Amino acid sequence: MIDFAQNSIDGIMIGSSYGLLALGFTLIFGVMRRLNLSYGPSIMVGAYLGTLLYLDFAASPIAVAGMTVLGAVLAGIYVERLCFAPMAAGASIASMVSSFAIWMQLEQAAILLLPRHTYPFPPLTTGAPLMLGPFQLRTDHLIMLACALGLSVGLQLLLYRSRFGLALRAIIGNPVAAHLVGIDVKTAVLGAFAVASAIGGIAGYLVLATDQQITPMFGMWATFKGLIAMMIGGLGSIPGAILGGLVLGCLEAHSQWYFGPQIRDLSAYMLLFVCLVLRPGGLLGEAPTRETMIDRRRA
Amino acid sequence: MTGAGRFQLFAALAFAVCFAGALHAAEVRAKADVTCQPTGTPLQYDCTIRLLHARTNEPLSDVALTVGANMPSMPLAHNVRPVKATVGTAPGTHEARIELEMLGDWALRLDLTGKVRDRVVKVLRFERDSVGPATAAAKPPSQHKH
Amino acid sequence: MDDYLIGVLSNIGVLSFLALSAYLLLLTGEISFGQQAFFAIGGYAAGVATALWGWSLTAALVWGAATGAAAAVLVGVPTLRLHGLYFAIATLAFAEMVRLLFELFHYQIRIAGEWVGPDGSDGFRNIRYIFENDVGPVQFLVLIYGLLAAAVAGFMLLERSHLGVSFRMIGEDEVLAEMHGVAVARYKVLAAGLAGAIAGIGGGLYAHLTTYIEPRIFDVMLGVHSLAYGLIGGLGTAFGPLLGVLIDIGVLESIRTLAGYRMIVFGGLVAVLLIFRPRGLLDEIVVHQIGRAWRRVWGWIWRSA
Repeated sequence: MIDFAQNSIDGIMIGSSYGLLALGFTLIFGVMRRLNLSYGPSIMVGAYLGTLLYLDFAASPIAVAGMTVLGAVLAGIYVERLCFAPMAAGASIASMVSSFAIWMQLEQAAILLLPRHTYPFPPLTTGAPLMLGPFQLRTDHLIMLACALGLSVGLQLLLYRSRFGLALRAIIGNPVAAHLVGIDVKTAVLGAFAVASAIGGIAGYLVLATDQQITPMFGMWATFKGLIAMMIGGLGSIPGAILGGLVLGCLEAHSQWYFGPQIRDLSAYMLLFVCLVLRPGGLLGEAPTRETMIDRRRA
Repeated sequence: MTGAGRFQLFAALAFAVCFAGALHAAEVRAKADVTCQPTGTPLQYDCTIRLLHARTNEPLSDVALTVGANMPSMPLAHNVRPVKATVGTAPGTHEARIELEMLGDWALRLDLTGKVRDRVVKVLRFERDSVGPATAAAKPPSQHKH
Repeated sequence: MDDYLIGVLSNIGVLSFLALSAYLLLLTGEISFGQQAFFAIGGYAAGVATALWGWSLTAALVWGAATGAAAAVLVGVPTLRLHGLYFAIATLAFAEMVRLLFELFHYQIRIAGEWVGPDGSDGFRNIRYIFENDVGPVQFLVLIYGLLAAAVAGFMLLERSHLGVSFRMIGEDEVLAEMHGVAVARYKVLAAGLAGAIAGIGGGLYAHLTTYIEPRIFDVMLGVHSLAYGLIGGLGTAFGPLLGVLIDIGVLESIRTLAGYRMIVFGGLVAVLLIFRPRGLLDEIVVHQIGRAWRRVWGWIWRSA
């Protein structure tokens, strides 16, 4: 019983980072209705720059975090300019494949920067975990959870209390109408990408600081965790992203405990597949119809 | 000729192609011991390969060896042009110098021609200062490894 | 011919099957990032057939096609209601599940004192059919391209047939197709099965070409690549995906001198290409123009003869 509770706690902690990754993903997807396969790799570029700062200049955790976010935002803007902005409205497959090509590019750029397979990443905090009765709570996990909740509240505020957020919601609702009403869609989309990348950068920093190491596999890992969490929670839903992340985290923690790491990954994909077949709208998203699933014009 | 007839003709041709040379099977199987050392130059490694008969463990002689490599995770994008190995001093050994594109796990492809025709694949992990086996256990436990 | 060149051409040939597989699904309007799963299943199935069960290569390839098709239908039926990105992600999830299952798949039997067979993460080595039966590199190359030619001929026939038109109708607008009397669900499952079979044959050929396969090879990278080949080469004709594979591998080989920067250059080139040609080089418009120009030339030759 204690094991179950401890695993659930661990699952919620790591799930909060998945939720953050899903937040950024869902923002881009809601606004663009396209999949950005470079999301994780652009975060990884930022993280590699942060690692470089740490290794060569012994930077503080705050500086590394800042560099990670900055790098992620710059990479995200690069991806948006090259893969999404120039594509015509109907060319969604082309955008996705283009983002995949840039994924390969960013991954190789990161490896050129730091060729080894593993590098140490500065930890968030050092010190013993807190004990709450029989349960162990790591302080860095708690910080991650707090950040996830804080950022999702922040994003909600941004979307519902600011002009920029209003523009984004209009675009999410109907891009053509938003354009007709005078919203500068292109700039708003660029802004959404920047915000999503920043959130992703924070998420990436938190995960890596908890893990205390970074490898070139991080980019693909982040993309998939964010994607799975987003789909489980429901496309385009902010509370869904966080909830999806938590569910994924819990599932992974339990399946790893009982069955090992390979079953852990397998169960994550099984959950995604079953979720899509039975309830494509996810937990909190609205059920998509045939119309909303298809990009109206051909790829 | 009908569609079915065309298919049958084609199947027969394919079958014939598969067995055209199957007059004698290559009975000898090879296995290899590979050790690689980094040279001074980054991403360059000197490999010593010992070829043995799979069952009798005798060294294989009179074979020409070509060494190629590709990364298991992306075999068509990350691959190395095969190089011919030179015969080493001890019986059954060959030496080859390979240049890789990046560090990580590489599947070395040892193509044998001559008296024995075979291929042996060995997956090794190439780091900057050492080369070792690429076992799954070698990966440290971490959230984002798979 | 230089052995290395034969190797490159063989790779191009084998990958073309994967590209055609993704292309077929794209014709019915569905994006699939998961064809590499059927490539893997076909590869393992065919490899097991020759290395463990002693079958001939032909039988093994048929077995690979059959298992690929069966798995594709297994996925195709539950995902019938999904479209667009939802379908794409579902296929991706399935493909990753298959890959992870192969990491856990151990099936080894003892043959002449050696353990032979798939060994989870350590891969499936010693698929030595071409060595045991003295199939030379050129012979195998001929086999690959022979089967590929048959597949392309099949596509050409398909484009002109009722089935092909139905596929494209479904791709344009499912509801309209249904109203025209096209049995959409049945045809989509058929398309999925055919695509799975094509990928399965490709996988079987790949396993025998390289003699060593492991689950890591069949990851998402390969899956998105299979779609990318069609996107690069063009979605207007079955030659498009083949052209895409040729360009992809050709460019990669020719920029070998750029060693560590290959992916950076290549990724950039693809991204730029897609800005200007979002449906590839041989897209429907170009194919139509080529067809028209060809008919004009042919008519001119005919008249002046």
